[in-house]
Amino acid sequence: MVDHLAILFPKLANKYRVTSERDAEYNCIAWAAGVTNAWWWPIGDPKDNYWPHEVPRVLTLEAFQAVFEILRHKTCESEQPESGFEKVAIFADDRGLPTHGARQLANGRWTSKLGKAEDIEHDLHDLEGEIYGKVVLFLKRPVEQ
Amino acid sequence: MATVPVKNAPTDETKETIEQRFRRLEAAWEADTMYLSDTQKIIDHPAFQEIIGMGEAVIPFMLHDLEKEPGQWVWALPRITGVNPVSRDDAGQMRKMSEAWLKWAREQGYQW
Repeated sequence: MVDHLAILFPKLANKYRVTSERDAEYNCIAWAAGVTNAWWWPIGDPKDNYWPHEVPRVLTLEAFQAVFEILRHKTCESEQPESGFEKVAIFADDRGLPTHGARQLANGRWTSKLGKAEDIEHDLHDLEGEIYGKVVLFLKRPVEQ
Repeated sequence: MATVPVKNAPTDETKETIEQRFRRLEAAWEADTMYLSDTQKIIDHPAFQEIIGMGEAVIPFMLHDLEKEPGQWVWALPRITGVNPVSRDDAGQMRKMSEAWLKWAREQGYQW
């Protein structure tokens, strides 16, 4: 069977696990925030997407950081798992424009919603490449008990 | 003298119906945007724009799809119809947006 994901994201090959059905109700940023009923994106018609009203509707890394700061995240230096914390990674293209977000799992791997396609569990940097660019920002927040 | 056929020229046998054209463009759009979150890139895709340009004729196909499951046609419908029945409070909630469009369409007398 053709592995379409591995064609688009070559580093994923044989190292990822699909964890949901395709679902157009939410996207990667919503999923990174723990939400599954809305499409979170700053630009476009305001009726097209959800975006926290406190944050400017601009496609900048600062705006994405601000969204997660509202959700009690603070920036951090690395992707290394830390006991008691949940981490989020933001990807950006070569112009520095955000493209994707992923959330760290308790096992240290990462979960991503791929556009309107599936959720997958993967190694963080395996989604880097032409489509999502590179990881440029890490944030973390205490895990709720 | 031999003539050079025009590439992909439609004939009676190969001429697309509106639905076939719609589904062909949808497939091209989905192939390129399936894994994107960037709404603007998804909407700006040439195939999506061509679908919007097909106008009211494609609305029943979109409504048919939205009745099966929430989807991104909610971003095409306001650009075709010039109206948007979605509440600002429901922005981005694709299920509620889809339901708003289906309700609007029934009120307008659309059938699908």
